[in-house]
Order: sequence, then structure tokens, then C-alpha cells
Amino acid sequence: MRLGERHGVVAVSFDYVAKETAANLWRNRVMALAAVLTVAVSLSLVGTALLLRQVVNRQISQWSNNVSLQVFMNSNATSQQLSEIRVLISQEPQITTCTYLDHKASYLQARQVLAGEPTALEALTPAITPTVFRCQLQSANDAPAVAAIFNGVPGVFQGHAQFPAQSVRTMQRITNILQVVLLAIAIVLLVSSLVLILNAIRMAIFARRREVSVMKLVGATNWFIRIPFMLEGLVQGLVGAVVAAGIVLLSNVGVNYLVRRYLSSSTLPLGQLILTEVVVVLIGVVVGVVGSTIAVRRFLDV
Amino acid sequence: MIRFDDVTKSYLTGIDALAHITLEIDRGEFVFLVGASGSGKTTFLRLLLREETPDSGSIWVAGRDIGRLAPARIPYLRRNLGCVFQDFRLLPNKTVAENVAFALEVIGRPRGVIKTQVTQVLDLVGLGQKMDRRPHELSGGEQQRVAIARAFVNRPLVLLADEPTGNLDPATSSGIMKLLERINKTGTTVLMATHDVGIVDEMRRRVIQLEHGYMVRDQARGIYGDASDTRVRGYSSIGVGAVSGDDDDLVSMPRRQVRPRRGRR
Repeated sequence: MRLGERHGVVAVSFDYVAKETAANLWRNRVMALAAVLTVAVSLSLVGTALLLRQVVNRQISQWSNNVSLQVFMNSNATSQQLSEIRVLISQEPQITTCTYLDHKASYLQARQVLAGEPTALEALTPAITPTVFRCQLQSANDAPAVAAIFNGVPGVFQGHAQFPAQSVRTMQRITNILQVVLLAIAIVLLVSSLVLILNAIRMAIFARRREVSVMKLVGATNWFIRIPFMLEGLVQGLVGAVVAAGIVLLSNVGVNYLVRRYLSSSTLPLGQLILTEVVVVLIGVVVGVVGSTIAVRRFLDV
Repeated sequence: MIRFDDVTKSYLTGIDALAHITLEIDRGEFVFLVGASGSGKTTFLRLLLREETPDSGSIWVAGRDIGRLAPARIPYLRRNLGCVFQDFRLLPNKTVAENVAFALEVIGRPRGVIKTQVTQVLDLVGLGQKMDRRPHELSGGEQQRVAIARAFVNRPLVLLADEPTGNLDPATSSGIMKLLERINKTGTTVLMATHDVGIVDEMRRRVIQLEHGYMVRDQARGIYGDASDTRVRGYSSIGVGAVSGDDDDLVSMPRRQVRPRRGRR
């Protein structure tokens, strides 16, 4: 009996599937383009948010491992006051190393910091620049306590003993908020790109309803009918993701520039960048496959 | 080849589209399925293709109870049932050869096989010269030949034809019938639902008549409208009166059908 004959694995020829998928995409190019662009935009946001997160985390961990305490002296502090501070520093076990920036060194530093403000720069002279003890601490947690030791000591510029931990926390808080906002936008966009892909596949199914009905009639297997449509969704997700990966690469250049300009940590290593790109591409593929799977399940009754 | 065993199918309206159909069609038979619109002919074909499942009873094709077929096996059932329709259902953007080849492509046949089989079957239906035309460049009769070629190219066990001559003039129709006869001679069972009195009367093949879902006649070498033929089978318990078109009498029709005796012609 021929009816009982087993054909084994579904014979879906690669040629056929590739041809059908390409033809479908071309026929539906406007919808496909819309879907691809939305995927690209949302995934570049996701990717950039991921990059930012990593950069900030690196910077923060560097700061927390390498907290520096700056003790600003009054510009007219006496040398005796300075040596008293030196003694205090040497007695404090939390402080690992310490360097002293005299008027000249401190002035050069200040010039860099104030590079963008010419009026302040003009008013600054080496003589009035406060000298600074720049110290490294063992742990960030004790920074406030250690800083408090120096506050009120004669010669110390009142209340200006600084430690970066405060700015770290502020920065962490700001980037956390920024990340949540970016991710929320990205999720909304990802959902809409999923819906767009779903709709693109639905249109493709509708455009090919004659073919599909003939295929069912002559006994094409369900997977044979489904695969080109699902692949179409996958391609849309993938292309969008690849575009997004390119944009993430560009934003990485920008982020690196900012890191070099304003932060002390090194730029993101290649490995982490590649990982981020892989995550972006995978999300794109998942969005494409999920969108087209839903479309095929709902609109292709095979 | 095909066996209906007390098959009943009703749709949501509660009216039986098919009621207690029991019949058997042998390998290589040529059978006309006749009856007015709404008598259940199309439901009969849809059940065979398992586009629908019966409410009760079982349907056997090639020794298999198709009601128990796993959904994934349904495509393999359909590969054994070629289908032709009144509206041809060709793909307008494909050429004649591509239309026929499509049926083989989508069941994963190798390209070499497709090429030879398409050429062969198009020669069989007499369209060897028009392989590269598109459906809209062909006459209705030619389009139906392409549809038949597509249905037959995979050498199915059964060819199902749902009013294949419904859109065609008598001369063209008779050409189509000759083609179906030739296909029947290769051993393929042909089951044709039709309204065409002339064709049925001329061919004198087995006629199964449906009326409001009931099989009211199963006659070897029948004609379209004949109810008083002495060879009427599967019908004795209903009485001849019901056949002669007394539709109001439906309610009084007994629910049970007599199984047709085997061995005709």
C-alpha cells in the first residue's frame, strides 16, 4: 500500500526554501523594511544600554578598588601644618599610598580640569592654587570616615577633603535610571518590532494563500509549508539585528571617546564588545522567530 | 480502495450534510457522485481528504482508517488523492510546467524526477506544446487539463474531481471526460462529483446519488436522473418514492441504510 509508505525526514530542499524566502521578502519589501528598521532601532538601543552599563560598571569597580582621597590644603598653609598632615596620613592604616601635589603641580592639574572655562583659568595662578594630598585607600567603604579625620585639622581647606565614593554613588544612581529608561524604550520597541514582523508574515501568508491551498491539496507537509514563512521572520530579525550591531559598534566608538576624555578606566575590551554584539544578534533572531511562529500558528491553518 | 462505514457528518446548523453513508469503491472504478447542490457531494470529498472528520462512522482509504491518521500523516494521505476542481485553482504567476512541477516540488521530489514526470504528464493531457504558457493564456478546457496534470503527476491512487466540467462547454467537457477515462484506464480510481446530466448518461458508469445527505442510489452503469433502475442497490429500505424527488418526505426517511451488495458489473 502506498499510503503506508514512509518518507522519513521531511525533505525540504535548501534551494526551494531559499528561493521561496527571498521571493517572499521581495514581494513584501515595504512591510519587511518596516519590521527590519524597527528591530534595528530597538536593538541598537538595547546594545547601547548594554555598552553603557558595562562601561559604568568597569569605572565603578575601578573606583571602589582604588579610591583616592584628596585632601585640599589652604593655599597659605604653613609647612608645619603640612608636615602634621603628613604624620596623620602615615598614621592612618587605611591609606596605602599618598602623593603630594605642590602649588605648581596642582596648578597644572587645575588648568586641565578648568580647560573649558577660560575666565576661571585666567584668574588662576600657581600661588593661589591649593596644594593637594592625593591618597589611595584600601576600601571605598571607609572613605567617608577617613575623610572626616582631616576635616577641621588646621591648614585643611575646610570641608574640602574629598573622596570619589559620593560621586560614584551619584553616577551609579544616574546611570541606573538612564538604563531603566533605555531598556523600557527598547522593550516597547522590541514588542512593536515583534508585532511588525508578525504582521509582515501574516501579509506574506495572505499573499500566498493560493500557493498554500495548493500545497495542502497536493500533500506538502506542514513544516514544508511553514518553514519559508518562519525563515522570513528570522531573516527580518537577523537583518535588523545586524544593522543594530553596526550601530552599536559606532556607539562604542563614541562611548570610548567619552571614557578616554572623562573617565579613568580603560575602554571596553574587545571580548566584551563581541559578547554584546552576539547578545544583540541573538535577541534579533529570537524576536524574528517568535513573531513569525505566532503568525504561522495563528494565520496558517495547516 | 475507498470505504465509508456508516458515516454521518453534520455542521453547526444541525442539518446532516451526510447521513449514514455506507459504500465501497474498488480500485480502478470510475464513479459519478450526483445530487443537487447541498446534497453532500462536497462534504463527501472533503471527508475523503480529511479536511473534515465525520461525527460518526469511519472512512477507509487504501486499507487505512483515515479518522485515526495522526495529523502529521494527513499530507501523505493527500499525496494519494489527486484533486481537480471546477475553478481549476492554478497559480497565475507560474507557467503550465511550473504549475505541474509545483505539486512535486512541494512534496520534496528530486529535480530530475520532476522534469521527466512533468513532461510525461503534460504529453498525456495534450499540452506538451504549451508548457511555457501562463494559465491566463489558455482556454478553460486547457486550464482544466493542466489542473488534471497537476493532480495526476504524482500518480495518485484516486483522482477526485469536484464538478470538473462545471465551467466548460459540452465539447470541451467531453474532451476532459476522455482524459479522465484514459487516466482511469491506468488503474487510477476516479471519483467525480457532477451536475452534468449529459456526461453521466453518456458514460454509463457507476452512479452514487446523494440527496439531503442520504445516499439514495448506488447504481452500476447508471444515468443521472434514473431512480427506477432495477439495479438500484443500497436503497431498498427507503422505497422508490423517496428517490423521485419527494423532498418533503425527508423526515420519514429511515436512518438506517442497507449496506450495498458487493460485486457489480
